[in-house]
Amino acid sequence: MRFIADFIGALREAGLPISPAESLDAIKAIELLGLESRATAKSVLALTLVKRQQDQATYHELFELYFANIENAKDSDDDDTLESPAATDKQQSQRQDQENAEAKGGSTATASSVLGQSLAQQEDMALAIAQAAKAEDLSSIVFFTQKNHFAYKIMQRLGGDELSAELRAKPGSPEQKRLQDQLAQARARLLEQVKDYVEQQYLIFARHKGVKFREDHLQQAKLSQLEHTDYALMQRLVQKAARKLATQHSRRRLTRKRGQLDVRKTLAANAAFDGALFHTRWKATRVERPKIMVICDVSGSVSRVARFLLLFLYSLQDVIPKVRSFVFASDMIEVTSLLQQEDIESALEKIMQRWGGLSTDYGKALAGFQEQALTSIDKKTTVILLGDARNNEGDGRTDIWQKVYRQSKRVLWLNPEQRNSWDTGDSIMSEYSPWCSSVEPCRNLKDIEGIFSRILKYS
Amino acid sequence: MIIKHQEKIASPEVIQRQFEALGYICSPSVATAIYLACHLQKPILIEGPPGVGKTELAKITAAYLNAPLIRMQCYEGLDESKALYEWKYGKQLLYTQVLKEQLGDVLRGARGLDESIARLHNFGDIFYSQDFLEPRPLLQALQSEEGAVLLVDEIDKADQEFEAFLLELLSDYQVSIPEIGTVKARSTPIVMLTSNNTRELGDALKRRCLHLYIPFPDTELESRILAAQVDNLDAQLREQIVALIAKLRDMPLKKSPAVSETIDWARALLLLNVEELDPHWVKETLNLLLKFQDDIELVEPEITNLLKGLA
Repeated sequence: MRFIADFIGALREAGLPISPAESLDAIKAIELLGLESRATAKSVLALTLVKRQQDQATYHELFELYFANIENAKDSDDDDTLESPAATDKQQSQRQDQENAEAKGGSTATASSVLGQSLAQQEDMALAIAQAAKAEDLSSIVFFTQKNHFAYKIMQRLGGDELSAELRAKPGSPEQKRLQDQLAQARARLLEQVKDYVEQQYLIFARHKGVKFREDHLQQAKLSQLEHTDYALMQRLVQKAARKLATQHSRRRLTRKRGQLDVRKTLAANAAFDGALFHTRWKATRVERPKIMVICDVSGSVSRVARFLLLFLYSLQDVIPKVRSFVFASDMIEVTSLLQQEDIESALEKIMQRWGGLSTDYGKALAGFQEQALTSIDKKTTVILLGDARNNEGDGRTDIWQKVYRQSKRVLWLNPEQRNSWDTGDSIMSEYSPWCSSVEPCRNLKDIEGIFSRILKYS
Repeated sequence: MIIKHQEKIASPEVIQRQFEALGYICSPSVATAIYLACHLQKPILIEGPPGVGKTELAKITAAYLNAPLIRMQCYEGLDESKALYEWKYGKQLLYTQVLKEQLGDVLRGARGLDESIARLHNFGDIFYSQDFLEPRPLLQALQSEEGAVLLVDEIDKADQEFEAFLLELLSDYQVSIPEIGTVKARSTPIVMLTSNNTRELGDALKRRCLHLYIPFPDTELESRILAAQVDNLDAQLREQIVALIAKLRDMPLKKSPAVSETIDWARALLLLNVEELDPHWVKETLNLLLKFQDDIELVEPEITNLLKGLA
């Protein structure tokens, strides 16, 4: 059952959520059907452990890796116990060799170190390696650069140091010299074996850990500094976070669907029971979904944050279906239809290419916003603006922003810069902030997630 | 549940073979799932695209084990009064009427309020009791003496609250009725839940179940299914059908043809006396396979190409 426990550990490292109850089920199931047939074992473990569609591939890959390992170990066990004729022959011939050597030299050279003795007797080292690896906590391996380090540590634990000392010692006799040569070869073979083992364990335990490590890192990373190579992973993370929020909030809304008691209908429904009210009838409340307008500055460094903000917003479409989106550098442009018609990723790419990176003019952009959208802002609308408020010394048209604030339910200003750089240089954050319900820094994925979580909670 | 013939579930292989004899061709992992469900007494959550035989599996299991199949179809707004139990209001009302008449006899000769109340307490109260309980599918499954196969169909269509409500049933085979108390299963039913993945199910539910994913069958398995389901189908035509379906499933369709559609199509072709797939007949019967106009429009111009590779 050790195998199963270790395997479950590896699956968990790869991101499968496996509870202790599920582990117990797996063990019970394996007790019933055994591990003999690999195909059966595979479907048994899949039935009990893998509950999400997206985990199937990971499971498949790890299973193959892991059980190949076990079967190898088993095979070598079999060799030991059954002593195939070839092996016995070999041992006999060795014994003869030794006897011959004894007969010739009159004295035997024996290895002094423990490891040397086991190598000289050609013991199977697989188990010893596995134990040493366990003692060195090999399953905690994270980076491929650690592989050599672990291989070295395992060799040491196996008694490599003593053996090396023995090999370095001056040979006293020709027999001893020959023994030293043999041992040196055996040690090289052992090292290969250890390295193979480490490599395999690395594949099982670490590769997925590396991804997790990077994901954790990306959650905290400044979006404005993000490398292009990380975009794909980041997009996945954004969608994951959005899905989480969406499921949380769709559930909450369901419980609120029931409205007040509908007296007329209740009376009608209970006429058959002599007027005693057994069945209640309720008025349904109109479910109010938050109406959101999002305005994104897509100039310069803000554009990267804008990209992920929009991505997040559109991944939330299940719970926030009514979104109007605008982007601006100097002109305000509505991109709602573009984002709906096309695949979100290519749409974002297009937006950033066409309008991103120009110099900002908040005054002109807000004037454009007034023309296009001010009339449709009502008391149910939440307006979100993402921008650094760096206006190149122009007129900020705070009067328009003031109108937006008065007409809407709430105005959120998200600033991708940290608080202490607001109002430095050409930033005019403090001119806008009186007309915002709240102003918040928005620098990494965690911030975005927090912001939307609050929007959904109080809508 | 009480399985009278233990040899029926002696091993996954036996189950697979016997299912085959009953006309349900399945992969070894499906048989393993049924085996484990019987031995570990765990519910199975069956997922997969529509039409791969999820519901059919429950039916065949029930038939195989000679147990009644209790089926509950889930939908939005399903609640415990429809799934678990309901009080027989009408009878309860009548009961109170009868009680009123009896009350005079019970209280006759009682002196003072205290004695009346004491007598009333001694009088049996059956207003909320098994007698007035109308069992719905879940309760029926628990009350069935010799066990049953309970099929909770399309659990993803039910609300999340209902899913939470099922948890007690799935892990302990018992339900709580506030007025009576806990009702334990007389003999544990075999529970199967199916889901089409219209929404992600909760982790708590998944944790309590074995998770069986039934994908579209590979060509070999599908060919065997067709052979079992459609009599008198020419072997060559069968291979052609299966190969064409496999090709269609690789195309970017809104809805890929499922096994049930393959079977319908094969039956239709048999009815039309088609001996070999040709573009004309495929075109005429395409609407049996593809249920969206967009899909039909996508496939129609390709038919000749698709058929070329088959011969």
